[in-house]
Amino acid sequence: MKVIAWLAGIGTLLAGGFYMIVSLNRWEWNRALFFGLIVLIAEVGLATGLVLRRLTRLEYRMKVDPVVAQILRETRPPSSDRFAWLRQSTRELNVFITFIIGGGIIISGIAWVVDRVASKTSSPAGEQRLGRQLGAISYPSGGLLLDDVTVLAQEVPGANDEQIRQLLRRSGSP
Amino acid sequence: MRKLKPLRILLGLVGLGIGVVLVLALREATLSTHEPVAAERMELVVHAKTKGGEKGQTLAEMVEAQLSTCRLEVTSDLAAPIESLGDGNFRTVLSPALDETDRKQFRGCVGDWLIDHLQMSVVELQDLR
Repeated sequence: MKVIAWLAGIGTLLAGGFYMIVSLNRWEWNRALFFGLIVLIAEVGLATGLVLRRLTRLEYRMKVDPVVAQILRETRPPSSDRFAWLRQSTRELNVFITFIIGGGIIISGIAWVVDRVASKTSSPAGEQRLGRQLGAISYPSGGLLLDDVTVLAQEVPGANDEQIRQLLRRSGSP
Repeated sequence: MRKLKPLRILLGLVGLGIGVVLVLALREATLSTHEPVAAERMELVVHAKTKGGEKGQTLAEMVEAQLSTCRLEVTSDLAAPIESLGDGNFRTVLSPALDETDRKQFRGCVGDWLIDHLQMSVVELQDLR
């Protein structure tokens, strides 16, 4: 079956190549393209078959004799018990507890240092920047109360201060 | 590094030589070289057949379409209407006449797969005196 497949692939490649050259020689470009496509398909198929055959051979070579594998399994040294210390009595101060306590002390120390450094880095320049940002929403410097001169000035024709009128409306003035 | 056997080197050189000759021959066969032609018109007879084409499409329409496409490749006009000779044969006249390269190109175009379900071949392509 494999031989038939290989022969079919090679035959397709050769026939496609032959007809492609004949078509080119006859100036039949579409036919040449079609046969070129057939050649390409056959070539990819054959190349894939060759690669798979080589991989199969490699796999066969890499197979280990089962008797040897059995001997190696039986003579395998026992694996070391790396977590034996977990099964020790909880009344003893073992490495685990020491590690937890030591780690806690170190992390607390780091947190204290970070806190001290952070508290020292709040500079007056930062406060000034915050003050400038708050200026946009602060009250006017003279307060929200209107004096009589300002109220009377709104009666003059042509005077039209929208903010003052808004304050007058809030205070109940006409 | 693996040593190459002389026989393999020889076979490789032979294969290379055949490939180069083939490419050069193909280049020569597909190269356009135009020359003046004595005749002014040419008679063209083609044979056409169709199988499984669209309904409503006649063989004459398909032949006309393919010939109209092919004459654009050789800058020659159909100087007479395409007439049916029966048995799938059709005749027309091309003007001006084609030189050797254009004839090969026109024959190739007529025999090419341009229109679905249509197969054409040149029966006769000769100068008209």
